[in-house]
Amino acid sequence: MAADVDRVEYGRRRTALLVLALMIMVFIVLSAFSFVGSRDQITPDTVTYAGAFGAVDGKRVFQAYNCMGCHTIVGNGAYLGPDLTNTFESAGPAWIAAFLPSAGTWPTEAALRVQLQSQNQTAETGITDLAAYYEAYPGAKERIERRGGLPTFMPNLGFRAGEVNEVIAFLKYTSLMDTEGWPPTPKVDGLEFPQAAKAINVVATDGSTTAGATADPAVGLTLADQYGCFACHAKTEARLVGPGWGGLFGSDQPLEGGGSATTDEAFLAESITHPDAAVAAGYPAGVMPAYAGILTEDEVNAIVAYIRSLEKP
Amino acid sequence: MTSYRTQRLSLRFFLLMLVLLLVQVVLGVVLSLQHADPTLLSGTMNFNVTRSQHVNLGVLWILSGFIGTILFVGPLLSKRELAAPWLIKFLFVALVAVTVWNAIAIFFAQKGIAGWWLGQPWIQEGLEYLEAGRAADIIILIGFAILAYVVLRTFPKRSEWNEIHWGLAIGVTALTVMWVFGMFFIGRIDLQEYFRWFVVHYWVEGVWEVIHISLIGILLVLMFKADVKAVGYAVFWGVTLVWLSGLLGNAHHYFWVGTPEFWQFWGSLFSALEPVPLILCFWHMYLDAHHDRKPIENKPAFYFLLGSAVLEMVGAGILGFTMTFALTNVWSHGTWVTPSHAHLSMFGTFGMLGLGAAYFIVPKLRKATDFDQRFGRLAFWLVFLGMLGIGFAFAIGGTIQVFTYRTLGLDWFGGDLYPAMGTYKVLLVLFGIVFLAGVALLVFDLMTLGHRVQAPAPQAADHTPPTSGWARPLRGFEAGTWLLGMWVFGFIITFGLLSYNLPRVQGGDPTIPYLAAAVGYPGLLLTTLLFVWRFLASLEARERASSVTMQRRTALAGD
Repeated sequence: MAADVDRVEYGRRRTALLVLALMIMVFIVLSAFSFVGSRDQITPDTVTYAGAFGAVDGKRVFQAYNCMGCHTIVGNGAYLGPDLTNTFESAGPAWIAAFLPSAGTWPTEAALRVQLQSQNQTAETGITDLAAYYEAYPGAKERIERRGGLPTFMPNLGFRAGEVNEVIAFLKYTSLMDTEGWPPTPKVDGLEFPQAAKAINVVATDGSTTAGATADPAVGLTLADQYGCFACHAKTEARLVGPGWGGLFGSDQPLEGGGSATTDEAFLAESITHPDAAVAAGYPAGVMPAYAGILTEDEVNAIVAYIRSLEKP
Repeated sequence: MTSYRTQRLSLRFFLLMLVLLLVQVVLGVVLSLQHADPTLLSGTMNFNVTRSQHVNLGVLWILSGFIGTILFVGPLLSKRELAAPWLIKFLFVALVAVTVWNAIAIFFAQKGIAGWWLGQPWIQEGLEYLEAGRAADIIILIGFAILAYVVLRTFPKRSEWNEIHWGLAIGVTALTVMWVFGMFFIGRIDLQEYFRWFVVHYWVEGVWEVIHISLIGILLVLMFKADVKAVGYAVFWGVTLVWLSGLLGNAHHYFWVGTPEFWQFWGSLFSALEPVPLILCFWHMYLDAHHDRKPIENKPAFYFLLGSAVLEMVGAGILGFTMTFALTNVWSHGTWVTPSHAHLSMFGTFGMLGLGAAYFIVPKLRKATDFDQRFGRLAFWLVFLGMLGIGFAFAIGGTIQVFTYRTLGLDWFGGDLYPAMGTYKVLLVLFGIVFLAGVALLVFDLMTLGHRVQAPAPQAADHTPPTSGWARPLRGFEAGTWLLGMWVFGFIITFGLLSYNLPRVQGGDPTIPYLAAAVGYPGLLLTTLLFVWRFLASLEARERASSVTMQRRTALAGD
């Protein structure tokens, strides 16, 4: 009797294991079909930003900063910040470049206009005009209008030269991926709902209000806020992406490639308008955008006056 | 039962488990505070660093508990000492070293340093659950290999193996093999996610589950003198059903990561079957606890084992079921809805097993079997209540997040989402503190158990056993009704997630999903709480009943 029960049980178990083996076969076949070339899924080795920055390098940067520890990508990761899969397609490269390395505030329109001048941006999108950019990337318009100048919670990460552009390449790749319709597209305009935060943009976005005021440190501070200078420069002596402004004025600054310069008004103004003319030792060239043609002479002078106000006593 | 000298080696792994658990839970509370105020510790210990530490320590203490339990039951299953005890001592040192190293290495993410060399990130690699760098990965791989070697060398000849031997042998071997899939940098997101879930899914839903079932099995044999053959039967079918459903069930991770649409069919179908073995395990727990009517000697151990089986069914089984269909997952994916499932199932299933095993084993090794059990029981209720609350806060916060973020398309977390979810972010902190209190209590209790002065065990109250009321004996029909109740609430939650697909909801009316969540989640979690209370009350009554009977017998003998 017991032997009979055992034999029946043995047969059942053998059947179960056979079914399991069949399942493994199914899984292997499905897996193989998932990654065949004919699927036309985009791969990162074929994606670059501005033809110069690779998406695979961007993925390395993305992992090195553990971006997945706060954000999700294709929905996986942590839930402190938004999903990044479609950020590129929504806000575009200039907005991302203006936002990273985040240092306290969301980019203003002024900061976005600076990034529109960047060679990489123009090479990628062919857009130099703000209106055209907003049309191509409506997410940027919404972000600038609702959040520009307001505080963000993302900590300053002090990216190294090239890393921001590589991250942009990676986000371009994830935007191009076919994720089977995820995340779902909203059917309504969320901004019309009470859940949407009120647009309380505290910073003027056209910059014209300051015209005529010369060399006023208070105006300089406002301008520096608008143009997102503090994304890369601390108000103290601390180094972020660029040198801190605290105690910078009137110091003796060694230059890349030998020699040194005194950081007086003329030198600082030149560093803002043509930053690569003389680069401070220890900092890579080509990181800071040139503000010639973006800032008026008066505005440059006001910012320099603000830097001077941070001089060591 | 502690007749083998090398069983004592398990003690150090349990102590390590307790230390890591305490740190992990403190970091969990810090995380919830950072969710409530993202400027907290920003620049010092950014959220991503805290979270990686929390996740990694969670894995490491659960593994320590597994190792401790395996080292204790290994000699019992083999009827001989553990092979190569020096290797186990080395394993312990390596585990401590790799834990400390990894905790430091995670901080390099704040500077964007991964330690790239030969195309691999050697210091830290910034992938969720696989944050450890390649250097740590290799040490961990060696550790797993040592564990597998020791277990397989200790076990008797293969012809003498029963199902528990097989379960543990396959478990420790697969633990090692699966880890390898997480040890390569992959440029493609879809391929990387495909292999990342090999490690994460097949670990928890394949390997850990097998170890879990086998260990629950052997502990039931040891605690209730349950019949080895009956337990072995349950272990075989438990493991087989886990694999039959879980192997293709892994497809539920391949819905939206860039893999083809056909995974949505396979994943929805097979992972919907994944609760089946969990219900079986739960039911077996009920049968074994009730197969004789003797009082339970070690209550904290049984409390946690019951908690493990129940939360496995509720957290992994029911909450997992609600979000496993492509049509519900498309909404829950990437939101706070998922950590409600993750916390209940991870801590519930595996964490509570480790704690139950510690309460079973530590007193035996310290020869303190008549220890004061009140601390352990109180700690159980605190962590159980705290964890149900954490699940509730995540689930309701997540329901609001899905509507605000996905349906309305509002993606400004600081401006739109934090205010909407604020209440539940605060609730998360509060329940986290309840949980932390329970953990602190049980860590203190287990650390000092057998070393501190024992309070005399309280005398059982002298009254007749209840035949009605809350503490009356639990019958199969009633247990089945509770189980059904939990599933009804599970279906309400599932319906709530499905309802996001309705045009009405997509047009901006959240009434249906909010109502379903407001009924479903509290209903499920309260039913779970009441059921465990009821189950344990009926067991407590047994003790009173038997002590009353004893007193009567003594009195009769006196006559």
